[in-house]
Amino acid sequence: MQSYIKLKDCSLDFPIYEGSDLSFRNKISGFGRVSINKESSSKKRLVRGLNDLNLDITKGDKIAIIGPNGSGKTTLLKLLAGIYTPTSGEIEINGKINSMIDLGFGFIDDATGYENIMLSRVIRGESIQNKKAIMKAAEEFSGLGEYLDLPMRTYSSGMKSRLALSSALYSVPDILLIDEFFSTGDLEFSKKSRSRIKEIMDNSSIMMFASHDLSLIRELCTKAIYMKNGNISYYGNVDEARLRYKKDYS
Amino acid sequence: MNIFKNNVAILDLIYSIKNYYSWSYLAYFDLKLKYRKTYLGPWWVVVGMAISAGVLCLLWSTIFNLDWKNFLLYLFSGFIIWTWLISIINDGPEVFYGSASLIKAYTVPPVFHVLRKSYLNLLLFIHHLPLIFILVFIMQPNIAPRVFLTLPLAIFLIFINSVLYSSTIGIISSRFRDVEPTIKALMAPMLLLTPVLWKPEMLGEYINYIYLNPFTYFIGIVRNDLIGTDFDPYIWCGAFFITFLQLVFFMLIYSSKRNRIVFWV
Repeated sequence: MQSYIKLKDCSLDFPIYEGSDLSFRNKISGFGRVSINKESSSKKRLVRGLNDLNLDITKGDKIAIIGPNGSGKTTLLKLLAGIYTPTSGEIEINGKINSMIDLGFGFIDDATGYENIMLSRVIRGESIQNKKAIMKAAEEFSGLGEYLDLPMRTYSSGMKSRLALSSALYSVPDILLIDEFFSTGDLEFSKKSRSRIKEIMDNSSIMMFASHDLSLIRELCTKAIYMKNGNISYYGNVDEARLRYKKDYS
Repeated sequence: MNIFKNNVAILDLIYSIKNYYSWSYLAYFDLKLKYRKTYLGPWWVVVGMAISAGVLCLLWSTIFNLDWKNFLLYLFSGFIIWTWLISIINDGPEVFYGSASLIKAYTVPPVFHVLRKSYLNLLLFIHHLPLIFILVFIMQPNIAPRVFLTLPLAIFLIFINSVLYSSTIGIISSRFRDVEPTIKALMAPMLLLTPVLWKPEMLGEYINYIYLNPFTYFIGIVRNDLIGTDFDPYIWCGAFFITFLQLVFFMLIYSSKRNRIVFWV
């Protein structure tokens, strides 16, 4: 069956909770109390993250997501990954997803590099039966060598990024969701990871890539989504999306 | 039944049961990491438990003027089961916000994190079982054969309750942050109110009050056959009834609030 992503009028609201909202005692003690300012008491504190999104993405689409900080790029990726559920609208996805969002989240400082790679794979529901092969691949790709035997708390931030990428870049999914992380590591590793990601991208049916690097998206993507305040401001040609983004923020 | 068809709680449970390898591996790793670099590893827990229960037994049998030989197995088994139950109760509220970074980055059902924590607590309890078995072998050699059926069933029932309770209370305490300290404060005197350090018959005419305490049932289903008490169907009925209530709360709260957890942690 062919991979696809369909969004129909999808919106996502983030509830905002402050001090007293988090108290069960306040919730109970406020139950049944008549408020003088009815309007404010009944109004929920919500921030709209995504607003009425409509998308129809099919096999072969390599889509860049561009836009300023806070425009909803990562939120859209998390919605597609199934981390968020839309507040309203419908979402239909067909295909195995590999999301590279917040890489390295859930890593354990006291565990070694090897162990963290295994843990990351296990959390993603992947098999680790062939441990030797996984370890060898991680060793070759990350270039961390004997450091992989040491606890992660001894790593520098660059080494942690190498480890995070090594744990994610192992298989080709139907749908690949990537949040920007290309500036990771030194020049040599950055080049290596770029080429590996490109290889995975080329072999995935659908790729969605959130980035601020406008020249890179031109190189990698066939279409682009320009996001602004949680809305899709433009969806189509990569150059046109870049132009509109530059025009709005230059 | 329509209520179970396409219910998100049931679907999440099925997904997690199918992927049992993932959460059991993670729980095992948590255990391994906890005792890394210690000489006896997880067996420190067993040594600690043996010392605590031994001291309590000596102290209590002296205070209450009891035959310590009679009391030892009762207190040891009760105290070990209690330690498991209290870990479940205290870990439950933080099960989701303790896994916040994973919930925000990976697409796994929330109950997956509950199973990981519940399985870790089960593994720790299993470490203590040899202590009970040794004492049973020494002090209760004519053990009823039904224990080979009731003991695994009782442990399984507590594990199920652990998953149901932690899922429900984990959601509530992610939303309301004062739930966790409240539970911990309420649990502090609970050991004294549960038949662990004392025997029910010591209560005399007030003996029936022990059945108001839900811990009585879960300690009873594991301990009674081990210490050679007559089979008590009421204890089992009570444990099954609490499990049913927990299942109802789980279905209601998990199904309706599951998608909100990511915003609350």
